[in-house]
Amino acid sequence: MVPVENAAPKIEFRGVAKRHGAVQAIRGVDLTIRSGEVVVICGPSGSGKSTLIRLINGLETISDGEILVDGALVSSLRGKALRSLRTRIGFVFQQFNLYAHLTAEENVSLALRRITGLTPAAARDRALGLLDRVGLADKPASFPHQLSGGQQQRVAIARALAMNPDILLFDEPTSALDPEMIGEVLGVMREVARSGITMIVVTHEMGFARQLADRIVFLDEGRVLEEASPEQFFSAPVHERTRRFLSQIRSPLHTTDG
Amino acid sequence: MLDFSVIGRNLDYLILGQTSDRFLGGLMLTLAMATTACVIALLVGCLLALVAWRFPGWPRDLLFLWADLIRGVPLILVIFWLYFLLPAITGRDLPSALTVVLALAWFSAAAVMYTTLAGLEALPFGQTEAARAAGFSDLQVLGLILLPQALRNLVPSYVGLLVSLIKDTSLAYIVNVPELTTVAGQINSREQVYPVEIFLFLTLIYFCLCEGLSLSAGAVARLLRRSR
Amino acid sequence: MFVFDWGGLYHQPALGWLTAGVVTTLAVTVAAVPLASILAVVIAALRLERGLLRWSAIAVIELFRNTPLLVQLLFWYFAGFAALPRSWKRWIADSHPWAVLPPGVPLVTPEFLVAVWGLAVFTAVFLAEEIRTGLSAVPAGQIEAARAQGFSRIDVLRFVLLPQAFLNAWQPLVGQFLNLMKLSSLASSIGLGEITYQARTIESYNAHAVEAFAVGTVLYLIIGLAMGRLLIWLGPQRPGSRRRAAAEAHLVETGGDAL
Repeated sequence: MVPVENAAPKIEFRGVAKRHGAVQAIRGVDLTIRSGEVVVICGPSGSGKSTLIRLINGLETISDGEILVDGALVSSLRGKALRSLRTRIGFVFQQFNLYAHLTAEENVSLALRRITGLTPAAARDRALGLLDRVGLADKPASFPHQLSGGQQQRVAIARALAMNPDILLFDEPTSALDPEMIGEVLGVMREVARSGITMIVVTHEMGFARQLADRIVFLDEGRVLEEASPEQFFSAPVHERTRRFLSQIRSPLHTTDG
Repeated sequence: MLDFSVIGRNLDYLILGQTSDRFLGGLMLTLAMATTACVIALLVGCLLALVAWRFPGWPRDLLFLWADLIRGVPLILVIFWLYFLLPAITGRDLPSALTVVLALAWFSAAAVMYTTLAGLEALPFGQTEAARAAGFSDLQVLGLILLPQALRNLVPSYVGLLVSLIKDTSLAYIVNVPELTTVAGQINSREQVYPVEIFLFLTLIYFCLCEGLSLSAGAVARLLRRSR
Repeated sequence: MFVFDWGGLYHQPALGWLTAGVVTTLAVTVAAVPLASILAVVIAALRLERGLLRWSAIAVIELFRNTPLLVQLLFWYFAGFAALPRSWKRWIADSHPWAVLPPGVPLVTPEFLVAVWGLAVFTAVFLAEEIRTGLSAVPAGQIEAARAQGFSRIDVLRFVLLPQAFLNAWQPLVGQFLNLMKLSSLASSIGLGEITYQARTIESYNAHAVEAFAVGTVLYLIIGLAMGRLLIWLGPQRPGSRRRAAAEAHLVETGGDAL
């Protein structure tokens, strides 16, 4: 975690809105994320958390407003410019989405060979190095179906890091994992967070948030309801809905009276 | 450029066959053969599927072997086999149309067996387990629980079978059974100068018939799904 | 009941006829399979486009799927062939000693060319549908992941979709190729001298129906079995199979199981 108070704005949301047909998924979000910040976005399901980060790299298109990365407008990018932006942003999916017909090493090196244009040997070396970094040095020739969920997600993180992105986006990276595998993935994410890269993580893992987030953003019904440092967020949440959400996270069997 | 009057002049022949004969011909014969073969194939195929479902050991393997052998031989040869064998076995001269129908039914029964078995096994195993746990006999499990559900899912496949059979009746051309294709061929050899018109028309009839059936099968399947 | 006389088959002229039949069946299959594959890729690609191209592809697919192959062969033979330019027909009618396979099987004849074309077009349509099924079986999440990495649509097709589509679809594709071989028997109705035609010729020559058709049946079964095995062996292997693991063993820097 790098001191970020004076760092340049990396990602800016200005009046961003997103409609899916008649449903308003995001309403008027203004948010600034600084270079090197680790931001955790949380909120009840349906609050638009996944949609928000998917708007950054264009997996979804905005209905209104603007998104800027490094001061440049990105929300209307298409074609080659959009692809170029995407090579600077790493995305980790909830369902891992590894390429099923490729080995772990090939999953990581594919973009290096086909987009960056590295030689196969150089790409392989970099891929093996990244697999080592996520603790899977002994599995380069394994196929996704031969790996556990936690291992697959770690390969996915290595794949996201392959092109040396300056932004990393995580869409509920541990939600599809069995409990005993969450720790190994969070461990990798912790190491990445400390490396100074700009990270946005959509997650329910409040332990991770408390330890590593510079800021926590609480999204509710498509709006930023609250944002604060972890200490403030957990000890003194301002809104009633935030309090209710936190108590549900802490004690899932607890019923109505929050 | 194209003169379709040849179709008009021969329309009754194409649809009904030689009206002087006692038997059907043309399109009507095609439909009669296809539906008869379909019914027989469905009955035999479903029965075999039930046997394969109930006895998964060597009976099922034997049935699969039989099915693979049947499917590994071109349908034409199956028709010829029956064409020469049946009179020898039964000692009587059978009408060629019947031979073709039996050959088609025999050939398709294998496909019906595979499809029906797949349909039964596609049902969640929990259904069978729950029924057995409640004390039903296997016959009751099949009849009361599994078949009603499986047959609903299988209707589109069965209609697909009928569509295939309609197309396969054209093979009766080889043994001169006067169904639609044979009749069209006879008209062509008689008229000589209208091959394009005749075979385009032939294509059109089969296309409308088969495409129409396929589309209605899709509609029926959607209807059945919605009525759950 | 029956008295089998196999002698009628392994003497000339029956033996020569049968050999010519086998060669013709194999020749038609070997010629039609590549042509069908190329046509299938074109149709599948058009199917993925939008607008008029897509609807043309769909129309062609529906047309060839819903009409009997025999009718299609008769159309190509009687109507299609007749519509060719006169100079082409004359060239085909000439004798071409360079295009004759060993036991006297001529390849440049109307019957052979129509059979290859008709079988190829018919099979191509089914191949295209299998390819399409194989493509849609690839989980959509992988497409998203590839787009998120910055791959273009064509790249996604090349590196993620098509390799997996062929892996998924290879078994059904092989099934269609085998079908093509068996359906070549229909070309006997337009006079192509393949196995079924020769079996009928033998039957009308010496009335040995059962023996002739028995041999024909066995021939189809053997060719089918051999062709199936060969094509499966030639095709893409499932990832994680022994053959592929061996080819990639050199990638594993440290020791340890693949599992």
